[in-house]
Amino acid sequence: MVYLPPPHLTTVTRTSYGEAYNSILMAHRRSPLTSASSVIMLVSPDVDALCAARMLADLFKQDDVAYRTIPVSGISELQTVRNDLISVAELHALILLNMGGVLDLPSEEWFGGFNSQMTVHVIDSARPQNLASLFGTGEKGDRIVVWDDGEAEKLAEEHKALEALMFEPDPDSEDDSNYNSDDAPEDDEDEEEEYESSSSANGKRRSLGEGERRGKRRRTDGERRVTRMSRDERETYEHRLNKHYTSGTWHGQSASATIYLLATVLERVDNDLLWFAILGLTFQYTTARISRKKYEEFHSIYYDEVFRLNPPLPSGDKTQISLSPDDFSVRTTDELRFMLFRHWTLYDAMFHSSYIASKLGIWQDKGRKKLTGLLAKMGFSLQQTQQQYTHMDIDLKRDLVDRLDKVAPEYGMVELSYPSFMRCFGYRGQPLSASDAVEGISALLDVNTGVAIEIEVEGARNGGEWFGGGRPWQAPGTGRESKRQRDDERENIPPGSQAAAKAIKVKPIEGEDNQEDVEKEKWWVKNFWTAYDALTDIGPLQQSLKLSMSVHRAIIRTGTSVIDKRDIRSNRNHHVVVLTQGPDLAMFSHPGILSRLALWLVSAVREGSSHSRRTKRKSLPFVVACLNESTSSYLVVGVTAALDFDDVRKNEFSLSFLFAKERCNARTRHGSFDTSVLEINKDDLKLFLETLCEEQDG
Amino acid sequence: MNDTRQFGDLATQLVTESRRSTQTDNLLKYNDSLVRSIIREQRDLEKAAQTLAIEADPDNLPPALLIYQTAISRNKRCLLAYHTHRLDHLKDMYWAVGGALPHILSNSDIRGKLSPHEVDYLRQYNSTVMEFRGEFSYELDIMAGITNPPKDLLVLVHVVRDCGVIQTEQGSIDFQKDQRFMVRRADIEHLIVQGYLEEVS
Repeated sequence: MVYLPPPHLTTVTRTSYGEAYNSILMAHRRSPLTSASSVIMLVSPDVDALCAARMLADLFKQDDVAYRTIPVSGISELQTVRNDLISVAELHALILLNMGGVLDLPSEEWFGGFNSQMTVHVIDSARPQNLASLFGTGEKGDRIVVWDDGEAEKLAEEHKALEALMFEPDPDSEDDSNYNSDDAPEDDEDEEEEYESSSSANGKRRSLGEGERRGKRRRTDGERRVTRMSRDERETYEHRLNKHYTSGTWHGQSASATIYLLATVLERVDNDLLWFAILGLTFQYTTARISRKKYEEFHSIYYDEVFRLNPPLPSGDKTQISLSPDDFSVRTTDELRFMLFRHWTLYDAMFHSSYIASKLGIWQDKGRKKLTGLLAKMGFSLQQTQQQYTHMDIDLKRDLVDRLDKVAPEYGMVELSYPSFMRCFGYRGQPLSASDAVEGISALLDVNTGVAIEIEVEGARNGGEWFGGGRPWQAPGTGRESKRQRDDERENIPPGSQAAAKAIKVKPIEGEDNQEDVEKEKWWVKNFWTAYDALTDIGPLQQSLKLSMSVHRAIIRTGTSVIDKRDIRSNRNHHVVVLTQGPDLAMFSHPGILSRLALWLVSAVREGSSHSRRTKRKSLPFVVACLNESTSSYLVVGVTAALDFDDVRKNEFSLSFLFAKERCNARTRHGSFDTSVLEINKDDLKLFLETLCEEQDG
Repeated sequence: MNDTRQFGDLATQLVTESRRSTQTDNLLKYNDSLVRSIIREQRDLEKAAQTLAIEADPDNLPPALLIYQTAISRNKRCLLAYHTHRLDHLKDMYWAVGGALPHILSNSDIRGKLSPHEVDYLRQYNSTVMEFRGEFSYELDIMAGITNPPKDLLVLVHVVRDCGVIQTEQGSIDFQKDQRFMVRRADIEHLIVQGYLEEVS
């Protein structure tokens, strides 16, 4: 039993999240050494994982569990962390948040070689999951616990196929069967041997090395097996497994939802946890990871929870403001598909929303005229819409939704709003809607530090103040951060040590790449923690909205210029956009932002084409590459286009990227856990794109 | 005029240095040469005073003797003031890092500013404190900071500087930079004080 169904599917024999959590607690309390090394959370840098980590941290805190949190950005880093952790003897629970679902975790290459008491809990929203992790048996398989959302139940056929392939020898090829049948027991022996010899570091290292090698060999072996197939039955099994892995990637239940269900089972739900879960869900929805249908499924759960946990609201106009200084309640609300409209001017909010942009064709003059026309029809004067939303006439605000509902259908905008939530923060600020919070946090995650960004100063619009009207973004000044910087840059460093510091800086000329990596690592970790802290702190969160606005402005700017200049090259199977210049190049070398741009382009092109040729509605996936000048490489993002706005299709690029990469031997690197995001050497891009094209044709 | 010096000029310099040190809240380097020359001056003064005292008529002492006497005691006061100030500063430093003597002594920057006697002093001070603390360590830890009384047993800390593997009662913890740990407060209190870790509220 190595995957957990959600609580509502549990029976007497099947345990679920609650039991798994309790087993972590029990192991923690029973073990004689319960330092922070025993429970470790590995968190990937996305909003969902961040929320999940925060929720789990809350639960652990209530249970007095000492834990350790390590942000991990990508597979290669996971490998380093794994190598670090294998020597930690006390480790007994490793929790992977939004990572590792697709990896063959029971293998020696990952967590096979770990201490036998250790369990790995995988809470990952990415699909498909690795079948060996899900259904693996034996000592190594049992320690991998996948917290599943019930989808694994439906993989019974894959399960069968996997078992058949694992345990039945291949009748056709002698050596192959020998190898296969030998494989499992050999592994076990090796493991025992390892435990015996684990006292001597030497022996351990040796067996570890072997394990890694074997892991690789087995994989290549697996590939060879595919080509050697002859038996029908076997072939169908193989086929089924292949299909499972190659049908593309998609997203399941968010990690934060999993933790929320856990909290429900433990009966420890509170408004904080609910809010984090909502953020996780909203993140998945606004970044087009889940479809509207799935969103609504979870929305209805949270909707009920909101009414369970919060006092009923007084009727009237008070729904948009906090009732008391201590009002931290979560409320339900309808969210318009405008970008941050409560914090921007109405015009800007509409201008920068991808939904409006695609429906009106905002990248053309015509589209912009349409937008002003729409506003005029609604009876909003231009002056009003150029004002901060908070300063708009109050009756206009009140009527906004009604008037939109009346006028918008004329422009083909029928689903202007979706049900969402917002949270009050006492008198420290206006209530914040979930999607605004998500925008802010993801902006912090992506570009808080590491890129110089100008943000707009309030009141500086239209030359209102001095020219320029912007100031460079500074990371939200947690006093701690600035203090540390001061310490680093202390003036009265004696001349001797300053010279020494310089010498250190000058020395590694050959290892320049290395140093750059270190630098890079530093900024993203800093961003990670700033975002993590901003989850509960309204101050930085509100500041981050400004940053998010700058990001969206850059997206529109670049997107518009791409369409204007006709930079989209269309192949038979996908569109390609290559960004090599522009003011925001540095910003787009972040995967998160580049995929936002790709999504914007997808929706823009989808609607554009549907306007012109109404009969043939086929949306092609997008590949967007962006030049990163500092590393002289391209960041490539592949996004599949769904037919409709709220629809989501499986992303097939993760696989095509891998194949294309193998075929053209490009020098590439997967920086993140998402395989549809790729970093590729500058010179290899052309070749790669060509191969990718062929790949999809074939 | 530069060459002609008054008695006590040097001592004034020493006191000025102390004052500067207090105002900038910095420990300046131990001014060994100045201290030595003051002591030399003391000897000269003493010699002069002695010759005067021997030659003079005991009933009718010359006024010069009084001047020498005053200069000697002033120098002495200045020397004492200088050293007391330094010791106070050292003690402050010692308590600021929660009694982690190696932390101070291993810092070459600070170490360079101390005289050997001061290092000895710190060591002995440390051992005295430890001895005193050991007498009732079960009831009370006098080294614990009292500015923020702890509310929880566990505390969430952010690692600011790598500080390697720390052995605690509950096992060893490998503190790596930019990770967060939920740990027992008592185990790592000293690391927070020393600035390796930061408490996250």
